[in-house]
Amino acid sequence: MKYTFKVYRFNPETDDAPRYQTYEVDCEEGWTVLDALNYIKWYLDGSVSYRRSCRHEICGSCAVMMNGKNGLLCNTQVKDLGSKTITIEPLKGFPVLKDLIVDMDLFIERLKAVNPFFESSEPPTDREYYQSPEDRAIIDDAVNCILCGSCTGSCPSFWYNPDYLGPAALFKAFRFVYDSRDTAAAERLELVDDHNGLWRCHTIFNCMECCPKNLNITEGIQYLKRLAFMRKI
Amino acid sequence: MGYRWHTGSVAWILHRLSGVALTFYLVLHIWVIHHIGQGPEAFNAIMAKVQTPLFKFLELGLLGTVLYHSFNGFRILLFDFGIGIRQQKQIFWGTVVVGLLVFAVSGYGMLSHILH
Repeated sequence: MKYTFKVYRFNPETDDAPRYQTYEVDCEEGWTVLDALNYIKWYLDGSVSYRRSCRHEICGSCAVMMNGKNGLLCNTQVKDLGSKTITIEPLKGFPVLKDLIVDMDLFIERLKAVNPFFESSEPPTDREYYQSPEDRAIIDDAVNCILCGSCTGSCPSFWYNPDYLGPAALFKAFRFVYDSRDTAAAERLELVDDHNGLWRCHTIFNCMECCPKNLNITEGIQYLKRLAFMRKI
Repeated sequence: MGYRWHTGSVAWILHRLSGVALTFYLVLHIWVIHHIGQGPEAFNAIMAKVQTPLFKFLELGLLGTVLYHSFNGFRILLFDFGIGIRQQKQIFWGTVVVGLLVFAVSGYGMLSHILH
């Protein structure tokens, strides 16, 4: 079936302004948007630039905006977008390096700001750190985050204020604060309890709407808000 | 915003807009009430102005704005307690239905008062 792909094109080094280039692609049944973009790059126009790697929705490289909504190229089927014309644009809120490739440095910086690693003050033993299935269930969603940036790139609070940590970083903070084995919850809470942290989330739900892994991001942020609030009263 | 609207973002932008509108209303309200300090004539004069049909109909708009802002405010409060986050869309439409019912009942009372 024939589809029209409107692809955002911009090379900051040579172009004054972004433009959209249109390609007609005869898509086979079951094609993802990544399949269609690959077809464009391999057979129609080799200059189209985009990131992709695993094509199994686990590396998080190929997050873009498709028909005005963020998601992964590799797990979005062309026919599921529900229109014959498909507009593909880079994630909003990040500087464009070329076409659909954005500079994710800002995203990584915000992530680093919440100390996104396991910390324990207990001395290591020759066994693993035990965690009950019930405790693990609390962070099941948060552990599954692949850091694709769809959520942060969909958040109006982040677009208007890049100093905001953004949903991905806050959800990572939730992942460790609510990890029963981690002992640095108080320090980590201190890092996110800020007007550019937790309190800039206005429960707009764009993040949960687009998350390719369907994770309960806002709930994690709300739980952190509650914890940050409770420790002050 | 160059991004597709959906229930959550529409609820958020309406909450912001209704909040700004209510702030303007509050200023107007205080300005009207402050005439009381200038004596009965001044107060009666301004009250006559705000009792014209135009303001009566604007009051219906005020009712709608207050209802939306308060019902959606309750929705946001639920999220602060960690309740219903996965069901945010259903809760939104629930508040819209309840809000419209309250608007219809109260609006009917106000409208019949205006028309008499």
